[in-house]
Amino acid sequence: MAGILGIYLFDSRWNAYNFGVFGLMALQHRGQETAGMELFGDSRVKLAGKGLVEQVLASSPANGHVCIGAVSPYPQEEAEVQPMALADDLSVSIDGKITSVDGYAWDPSLGYEANLRRAYVSLYYNRTDIESVKGFFGRCGGGFSFIAVNAAKEMVAGRGALGVKPLVLGKMGFDGGIVASESCVMDIIGERVPISPAENIEPGEVRVFTPMSAYSEQLSIPKRRAYCGFEYVYLARPDSYINDVPVYRVRRNIGMKLAQESPADADVVIGVPETAMPFAMAYANETGIPVEKGFELTGRRVRSAMKPNQVERLKGVQLKLNVISEAVRGKRVVLIDDSVVRGNTLANIVYLMKEKGAKEIHVRIGSPHIISHCPFGVEVPGEDELIGKHLSEDKIAEVIGADSFRYLSLDGFIDATGMKGEELCTGCFSCSYPEV
Amino acid sequence: MKILLVGGAGREHAIALALKRSPTEPRISCFADLKNPGINKVVKETGGEFFLGSINDSAAIIRAAQKAGADFVFIGPEEPNFHGVPDRIEESGIKCIGAGRKVAELEMSKASMRDLQWKYRIPGRLWYKKFKTFEEALPYIQEYAESVALKPARQSGGKGVKVIEDFQVYLQEDKRKVKKEHAEMIVKEHMKDYDDIEYKLLIEERVWGPEYTVQCFTDGRTVVPMPAVQDNKHAFDGDLGLETGGMGSISCGMNLKWGVDDDRAIITEDECKRSADIVKQMIDAIQKETGQKYHGIAAGQMMLTSVWGPTIIEMYSRLGDPEAGNVMTALKTDLVEICEGIIEERLNAIKVEFEDVAVAVKAVCPEGYPDKRDLAKGHPVALDGPWDGILWASAEESEGAIRTGGSRVVECVGTGDTLPEASARAEELTRRVRLTDGWRTFHRKDIGSEKSLLRRIQLGSMARDIYTYRERKGLLGKRMIWVPGKGLVEVG
Repeated sequence: MAGILGIYLFDSRWNAYNFGVFGLMALQHRGQETAGMELFGDSRVKLAGKGLVEQVLASSPANGHVCIGAVSPYPQEEAEVQPMALADDLSVSIDGKITSVDGYAWDPSLGYEANLRRAYVSLYYNRTDIESVKGFFGRCGGGFSFIAVNAAKEMVAGRGALGVKPLVLGKMGFDGGIVASESCVMDIIGERVPISPAENIEPGEVRVFTPMSAYSEQLSIPKRRAYCGFEYVYLARPDSYINDVPVYRVRRNIGMKLAQESPADADVVIGVPETAMPFAMAYANETGIPVEKGFELTGRRVRSAMKPNQVERLKGVQLKLNVISEAVRGKRVVLIDDSVVRGNTLANIVYLMKEKGAKEIHVRIGSPHIISHCPFGVEVPGEDELIGKHLSEDKIAEVIGADSFRYLSLDGFIDATGMKGEELCTGCFSCSYPEV
Repeated sequence: MKILLVGGAGREHAIALALKRSPTEPRISCFADLKNPGINKVVKETGGEFFLGSINDSAAIIRAAQKAGADFVFIGPEEPNFHGVPDRIEESGIKCIGAGRKVAELEMSKASMRDLQWKYRIPGRLWYKKFKTFEEALPYIQEYAESVALKPARQSGGKGVKVIEDFQVYLQEDKRKVKKEHAEMIVKEHMKDYDDIEYKLLIEERVWGPEYTVQCFTDGRTVVPMPAVQDNKHAFDGDLGLETGGMGSISCGMNLKWGVDDDRAIITEDECKRSADIVKQMIDAIQKETGQKYHGIAAGQMMLTSVWGPTIIEMYSRLGDPEAGNVMTALKTDLVEICEGIIEERLNAIKVEFEDVAVAVKAVCPEGYPDKRDLAKGHPVALDGPWDGILWASAEESEGAIRTGGSRVVECVGTGDTLPEASARAEELTRRVRLTDGWRTFHRKDIGSEKSLLRRIQLGSMARDIYTYRERKGLLGKRMIWVPGKGLVEVG
C-alpha cells in the first residue's frame, strides 16, 4: 500500500512544495520506508529517497504549482521510489496493486513496475494525453487508486472500479484542488471548511485537472464495490473519512462489539498504542471497566506492523511499548490490539506486561483472524507466516502466554463498519476476494 | 408604453423577458455594446429598435431613448451607474430605473461602502482596512494579515478578488507571498485604468458560511426584497477552481428552500428579513449621506457568518447576473407597473409578488473562461430547439450568425417544484448548446443537486449555531483578542 497525494494549483504564482511536504506527512502512517514527490513548474523536479517525509523531502525546496507524491512501506529491491515514470513525461503515484491490464499479457519474468511500463507503452506508445491516461487506467484491474501528471502538466486521478483503495478530493479556495488517499490531508493543508472537508471519489471515477478545466468522469461502471475493510481496522488515520464513513466511528463500534461478543472479568482495559486506543476506550465504556494508559513510548512514533523484518518490528514494539507497571500490577487486564499477523509482537507485549506484574491478561483483537495474503498490495506476509490461519484462539492464547484470546467475529466487524458486507473486501479475514 | 433597456448580457435578457410579459404590451428597445441575440429577438417581437454603442455614453443613450420615444430607461449593468448615466438621463427629462452616481457609490467603492456601514453601525459589518497604494499595504500584509479577502476597492466586474485562508502557520510563508503578489497585482493591474477612486485595495477578514444575494426594488422610500438567490462562484463542479462572475444560481421561495413544500432551507425566513433590513439601512444611509434619491435596484451579496449571522460581503446597485434569471423568472407582478411605482415613488402601494417556484440557472461557458477569455471568444454557437428557458449572455449576433463573446455564453433556466427538479431541467437545456467549431464548453452539473444542497444546508446550520450563541450572549459582531502584555482588545 501507499499514501498518495496530488496538488493542482491553477495559478503558477503558488508553489506546491510545502503543501506537498505537509500533505505527505499527514499520510505518513500509510508508508514509512520511502517518500517521494515530483513538482511540475517550469521544469519537472523529482525528490525521493528512503526514510520519512521529514528526512527525505523537508530540506530540499523545489518549485512547481502542480505536485504529486507518495509514501510507501517495504521498498522493493531496484524499484523506483514513487512517483514512478509510467512513460516519458508521465509520472504516477499508485496506492494498491494493479493485477491486470486489458489488452496486455503480463510477463512473469519482469517485475511489477516493468510490466506496468511495458503495458502502457505497448498500448499507448509515448502518448500521455488525458484520453490515453484515462484509457490505460480504465483497462487496469485490481485494487488501486492513482494520481498521474502528464507531459502537459495535466493531472488525472482516480479509483479502480472495485474501489478497494480510497481516494478523496479537497479544495484550496479558488486556487486549486487536492487529491489524496485520506481526508485528513485536507485538514492539514486544505481549506478549513467546517463540514466534512473532502469529497469521496467514487469507484471507477476519475478527476481531471487542466489549466482550463476540472471535471469528473465515470471511467468504468463498477460491477460491485469492494472497499478495503482493513482501512477501518488499521490502515487509515482515525481522523479520516474513508468512503464517507468516519474511521473513528468504526473503531469505536469495533470496541463496543468486542465487549458484547467477548466480555472478560477484569480490572482494567488497556489498548496497544496507537491504533487500538479507540477500541479500548469503547470496550471500557461498554463494559464499565476503567481504561488506563498502559504504555509509554521512547523515540519516534512508528507503525511497527509495517516494518519490513522481524528485528525492526520488535525494535519498534519494544521502544514503543514500555509497560507502565503501576497500571497493570496485580490487575486482571483486558489487552486490546487491532490485529494479529504473526503474533510475535503480541507475545512480546504480553510477556512484558506479565513481567511488570499483571495478574491475568485477556487479549481481545479488533478484527477477525487474518488468514490470507492481500492481492491488492496490503503488506500481509505469506500464508505460512500467519498465526491465525494455523492456530485456534485457545492455542494462540497459550502461545503468546495470555489467559484468554478472542477475535472480533466477521459479522461483528461488518456491523461495526455500518456498511453492507457485499460492499466490503474482507478477503484477508475470509480468503474470499472480489473477482477482478 | 415604450422602454429602452441598457445592457446586453444574460441579466438584461431576463429583464427584457419580464418586461415583455407586461399586459401593457411595451415596445422594448435595447442599447448595448453587443447585439445579444435573445434581447434582439424580444426587440424585434415588440417592435423596438436595437442600438449599438458604449453603455457608459449617456449622450448616445439619451439620443436612443428620444428616438425610441421611451417612457423610461431601465439600466441593467453597474458601469453606467458609476458613470452617472441615470443622472444625465433624468436631467434630459426622461425617467430612469437605475442608481444615480452618488448612491451607486455603495457598489462602486467597496471602501466607501464599509466606511458607511461602520459609520451608521449597520449589522453584518466585516472588519476591514483600505489602502491607496501597494507600498502602504505591504507592512500590514507582512505582519498582521492572516485569513483575509483581498479586493480591488473599486468594483471591477467582480474580478480580482482573492480569498486566502492563512491559518496553518507551517504554510504561512507561501500564503503571505501570494497575498503580497496579489495585492500588488490588484493595485497595479486591476485598478490601473480607474482614476475615479481614491482607495485601490481593500483587505477584509475572511469569513465562512453560505452565500446568498438579496435583491431589492427601491424608490428611495420603500424597499421591496425579492427571493434570496444563491450564486455559485467556482468555475467547476464541487465548488472547485477559479472564481467566476457566477456559474449559475438557485432560488426557491423567499429563503432558498429545498422545494416549494419543504421545510428544509439554506437560510431561515427571519435571516432573509434581516438581510433585507440591512439592505434598507444601507439605502437609507447612502441617501442621507449624499442627498440623492435611490431609484432602482439595490442588492446585498450576503453571507450567513458565524460572527454576525447575515453579513454584507458586497453591495450591488443593480440585479446580479445570473441572479436576475431567478427573480425575473419568478416575478408574478407586472415589472412595468413596478418600474412606474419606482419612478413615481409609490412602490409602497404596489403588491409585488413572486411565484412559489424553484428556479435553477446554469451558465454554459466556452473553455478559457474565466481567465483566458481571448481563447473563449469568437466561437460560433448553435442552439438546438426552441429558445424557451434560454438567456443569451456573452453572445453576439451579426450577419445571421452567433459567436461567443468570451464570457458565459448562455444561461439555462429550469423551474420545478424542488430545486433538484429545476436543476435537472436546466441540465437538459445545457445539452442543447454547442460550439459548432468543436471548441469545448463547460458548465456546473452540481448546481441545485441534492448533494450540493445538503452541504449548503449543513454549512448554514453550523454558522447559525455559532451566531445564535453569540446573539444570546450579546456578542454578535464582537471580536475579542487577548494580546499578552497589552490586554484585551475589542473589535466590533
